Amino acid sequence: MAQDARGEVYDLLAARGVSRRDFLKYCGSVAALLGLSEMYAPQIAAAVESGAKLKPVLWIAQGLCTGCTESMAQSRTPDVPTVVLDILSVNYWETVMASAGSDALKAITETVDKGGYILIVEGSIMNGANGNTLRVGGRPGREDVKEAAKNADAIIAVGSCAVDGGWVKAAPNPAGATGVSEYLASVGISKPIINLPTCPVNPEWIVAMIVDVLLVGKLPALDSKGRPTLIYGSTIHDNCPRRGHFENGEFVEKFGTVEEKKQFCLYKVGCKGPQTYTNCPYVRWNDRVSWCVESGSPCIGCGNFNWVDNDAPFLTRTSNVKLPGIGGVAPSTVGAVLGGAAAVALGVHAVVSGTQGRVGKGGPPETEKAYDRKKAAKGGDK
Amino acid sequence: MSGHGHYREAHPLPLMLSHWSNLISMIVLVFTGFYIHFPFFAGFMGAARSLHFFFMYLLLVTITARIIMAFTVKDTNQMGTKDRDWDWKNWIPQAENRHQLIETAKYYLFMRKEHVISAKNGALQKIAYLATIPLTYAIAYAGFAIYTPAHQWGIWPFFEAGLTAVGGDMNMRIIHYFLMWAIILFTMIHVYLANIYGVAPTKLMFFWIETEDPHDRYHQ
Ligand code: HEM
Ligand code: HEM
Ligand code: SF4
Ligand code: SF4
Repeated sequence: MAQDARGEVYDLLAARGVSRRDFLKYCGSVAALLGLSEMYAPQIAAAVESGAKLKPVLWIAQGLCTGCTESMAQSRTPDVPTVVLDILSVNYWETVMASAGSDALKAITETVDKGGYILIVEGSIMNGANGNTLRVGGRPGREDVKEAAKNADAIIAVGSCAVDGGWVKAAPNPAGATGVSEYLASVGISKPIINLPTCPVNPEWIVAMIVDVLLVGKLPALDSKGRPTLIYGSTIHDNCPRRGHFENGEFVEKFGTVEEKKQFCLYKVGCKGPQTYTNCPYVRWNDRVSWCVESGSPCIGCGNFNWVDNDAPFLTRTSNVKLPGIGGVAPSTVGAVLGGAAAVALGVHAVVSGTQGRVGKGGPPETEKAYDRKKAAKGGDK
Repeated sequence: MSGHGHYREAHPLPLMLSHWSNLISMIVLVFTGFYIHFPFFAGFMGAARSLHFFFMYLLLVTITARIIMAFTVKDTNQMGTKDRDWDWKNWIPQAENRHQLIETAKYYLFMRKEHVISAKNGALQKIAYLATIPLTYAIAYAGFAIYTPAHQWGIWPFFEAGLTAVGGDMNMRIIHYFLMWAIILFTMIHVYLANIYGVAPTKLMFFWIETEDPHDRYHQ
């Protein structure tokens, strides 16, 4: 075993106030996240230690709000995910790296030339104006992604923006934003991509994926949309601690009420948990402190595809349907108008039927079909 | 319509029972569906979903059985007779319905006075009944696509493809909801037209009560 490397890793950790014990404990929770038993913790630690030497990471930012970087970097204490990413020699991470300008960009080219690295993309690919809605280093920003994708061992799209364009892509999408998979496919690069949607991304998932790549040496099981099934395999609703209140029909009707205090189910105030596939309820957020529903907010479905257009307005049960010339209308309004119109039409029909003496018996029967009558009048084929 | 007799041969027992089964399923599914869409009173969600999940299977079984019966059961195809033929002919326009579709529409829109010559079921009626079959399967498809236990089924990719096509669970839920309104609209028009010209058809369809008419061909 690379005793030196190991020592180096723990020195680095210690310098950031993370003890060896903390680290192993964290590796245990990563194991759990990966669906492995806690017995794998030492192996995961070893993978990270050796990976530190072997696997460089490129973190490329595109059209974004930097929220995913914030999610990784900002915490009360230097948390383990941040440190782990630090340890993995991150050769390029614009937002947090010290160097800038062409020096920094050279790191991309050098890493790509050597190959064998992990590419992480944050933010949407901005295709508007031929890619010029985002320019980096004097060329369309998306060129960096294309270049970096070429020799990557694994590509991880972090956050909804990198996955499918996220909020940047919400209608009317003037920047022509898309996700990494769609963009790479359009430039003829076909590589499996790990998609980690939510807005922002959960740091624990990134670390779990990196560890998976280091430990198993191949991509984790992905669903048809490139999401790791371990993370995105079931709905929030199916794992929600408020599910009992849902089944009992106990709902928060309005914020600021006693029902809210009692932590009733948030379905009627727009919770998108039933339509959203992530493991937020048990991995949770911010060093596992809490997560949206637990802290009292309905899930706004940020882990869904096309999530802004599909899930807004966030505090109503369904999204609106867009009707030409009218705009967004709640589905229940559309239904009620259709039903009401039909009832009125049938009412009018009944009244007219009454005046025509049809009610209860129908009109007098015809003796010959209109078609035959006309034909006969024309001389027909008789 | 009403200017003729209504005999049990028009709706043999299995067809009467399947209509009952569909009616009850629909009432429960629509009620619980509205509730799941927006719980308008407290304390019923668990029951609403359980009922929905039971009656959705009953509806599917009955509809499928009804299709099989169309090819295995004989009933009357013409008005005021007891002569029986394959039931499927009541679903597909036949010789008697030829050239009558537009005339039937004109009649319902008061653009002609006389009622049109037709088979037991009119051309429009046949088309509407026929449409209930794909409509039911469509709502079932949308329903299973938003039914999370279906993810474990072997045929899940078949539903997943639909989810991808419409852009996810939320859109599929809205489609499921609108398909419910399509069924409600069908039922409103259906119930209205089945009764406005006399309640004899309903008495027969629901309670198997016959209505005699001395002028029927059958008596002559
Ligand atoms: C026949 C097969 C059917 C299946 C498999 C099915 C399945 C489902 C499922 C899984 C849900 C979501 C429940 C939840 O997750 O809590 C649902 C909701 C619903 N169902 Fe069905 N259903 C069927 C038929 C019907 C019918 C016939 C109607 C009405 C005519 C109906 C009306 C509704 C409505 C309105 C909702 C609420 C949708 C929303 O969230 O807005 N369903 N159904
Ligand atoms: C109170 C409600 C209802 C009434 C009074 C009613 C009445 C009738 C009557 C009288 C017939 C026979 C028509 C004839 O022979 O002239 C019929 C047939 C039919 N009804 Fe209904 N109906 C009701 C609800 C429904 C619902 C909810 C559905 C499905 C959504 C439905 C679907 C059908 C179909 C498909 C037929 C075709 C014949 C068959 O299945 O044997 N009905 N109904
Ligand atoms: S709060 Fe949301 S996720 Fe939780 S049970 Fe209610 S609807 Fe489901
Ligand atoms: S609970 Fe919903 S809104 Fe909150 S992070 Fe998870 S997916 Fe996003």
